[in-house]
Amino acid sequence: MTDTARKNVVVIGLGNVLLSDEGIGVHIINKLSSLKRQFPFVDFIDAGTGGMNILHILECRCKAIIIDCANMGVEPGQIKKFTPDQAVSVKTLSHYSLHEQDLLQIIGMAKRLDQCPQEIVIFGIQPENTGYGQKLSRKLMNKMDDYIKLVCQELDG
Amino acid sequence: MRSRAKWFFLEAVRGQQMHNSLDINVHHLTRVEGHGNIVVNVNSGKIEKLQWQVPEAPRFFEAMVRGHSYQDIQTIVSRICGICSITHSLASTKTVESALGLKVSEQTDKLRILMHYSEQLQSHILHIGYLAAPDFFGVPSVVPLVARAGDVVKIIVKTHRIANEWSDLLAGRTTHPVTLIPGGLTRIPTEQQLRQLQQTLKDAIPDLKTIADVVLSIAGGIPNFERPTEYVSLKQTNPSAYTFYHGGITSTDSKGSVLPIEKWHDVANEYVVEQSTAKWTKWHRDSYAVGALARFNNNAELLSPTAKDVAKVFGLAKGCCNPYMNTIAQLVECVHVVETSIAMIDELLTKGLKDEKATSTPKAGKGAGCVEAPRGILFHEYEFDKNGNCTAADICIPTNQNHANIQKDFEKLVPEIIDEGQDAVRQKLEMLVRSYDPCISCSTHMLKVQFVR
Repeated sequence: MTDTARKNVVVIGLGNVLLSDEGIGVHIINKLSSLKRQFPFVDFIDAGTGGMNILHILECRCKAIIIDCANMGVEPGQIKKFTPDQAVSVKTLSHYSLHEQDLLQIIGMAKRLDQCPQEIVIFGIQPENTGYGQKLSRKLMNKMDDYIKLVCQELDG
Repeated sequence: MRSRAKWFFLEAVRGQQMHNSLDINVHHLTRVEGHGNIVVNVNSGKIEKLQWQVPEAPRFFEAMVRGHSYQDIQTIVSRICGICSITHSLASTKTVESALGLKVSEQTDKLRILMHYSEQLQSHILHIGYLAAPDFFGVPSVVPLVARAGDVVKIIVKTHRIANEWSDLLAGRTTHPVTLIPGGLTRIPTEQQLRQLQQTLKDAIPDLKTIADVVLSIAGGIPNFERPTEYVSLKQTNPSAYTFYHGGITSTDSKGSVLPIEKWHDVANEYVVEQSTAKWTKWHRDSYAVGALARFNNNAELLSPTAKDVAKVFGLAKGCCNPYMNTIAQLVECVHVVETSIAMIDELLTKGLKDEKATSTPKAGKGAGCVEAPRGILFHEYEFDKNGNCTAADICIPTNQNHANIQKDFEKLVPEIIDEGQDAVRQKLEMLVRSYDPCISCSTHMLKVQFVR
């Protein structure tokens, strides 16, 4: 329970794997985990729908790469790389429940607490289907290799 | 089971305040995201409409697990919730074990309870720090609270992180556990890891006291409202303990009697109402409450010594029926789970940890399981065929058991505060909902963004 085991770089996959493409971040992490040896300085974390837990995953890192399903108004399957500063959340929270969280707000809070990595890169992937199901849509499935390649390029860069 | 869905859009519509009239309508534009709506219409002093509405879309977890092997159920249902996934996993595993007639070792039992305590701390500290504290400090959320009370937010974040790492150690990861299987655990911590955890927990007690001091300093913001209420929770006798995991079902109306878990349908008595897509429940009265305050009201004398001290400082005593005090009961439970875990680790280390292999074979059967989620009592029930595949499932979550009680609280509270003006009424009703720590809308957190041009 110390920071000594913490690696400088973290790749965080977000999503709910029971809602088809919504779980894309987790599916990508599962694939990336087989490349652990290639990236010994990287933690690959399936953060599920972890909400505020992301705050702790970000702490004591130099760089974080976050992969998430994102409604960006683009073609399904399209992946976009952006930084937190390049996007604004249009999600509205009721603040009734702990179960709603906004990733960009959590990053903002990490900054205020001085616990934020210097560099954060977000890969957003536009879903085709976010209905019930444990499988990705064919469209996203077919692009999985492209997604992996992009994340690896980011890690190599 | 309560339902949840996706993408949410919240609109707070504040009507113009008229003389002795209120028009509060905090609602969602669509049904696609699970949330609650608060509707208050008062015309010339007369309440025309007063509702706690839950317009959530169904999530179909009970249908989703049908056809799956008993070995896979826990993995699926852990995704019901991103906050209390350990709780759902434990309830599920206990239910499978009940259906298949599996027994677990004392070591497994203790390690599971230790795992469960980690989630109580995780969830409670989140609720106290991130959801309730902004109300007390008069800020809209925890984000601006960093500027207002940065030091205490840092302590809350640190305590939450400790709870997360505690979960990692026992459950294999913070959310959606991977170490639980029917009959046992796939992995246990080392004795050294347990010693380290114990030290961390000892060090956390002063931080919890600091949090308690800060909450006490702003406790004047807790509304003074009471409504005689039936409180339902687990109760463990022989040996007696302040329980989150073992025991039977009791209530403050039960006169000491404890029902076996298999009788949970007789407790919940689920029914449907027009204003909600989530089911409501009732037992001896027309509603009941579950959660930390319910556990406290049924078991307070069994709390750890420091937890009792914290309760006393806040004037929290058995019989409290102020729903806003649920947050204080959670704070008391934070201290209890940490203090009790320190002692439990001693017991585990004294006996020494043993490698145990869990085995199970499929068979037909039906079982019910129950644990206390941070936000209240949770029931799972499954039936399996001879191959161990699930043929039926029924899950009753704590938030659903609180909906009717929230409505009844509204009905008593609004006439009492009607003259305080629209904003104050709205704020107190929102705080009331938050005090129940409802489990809404964690099935997805999907980003919804616009790019800065």
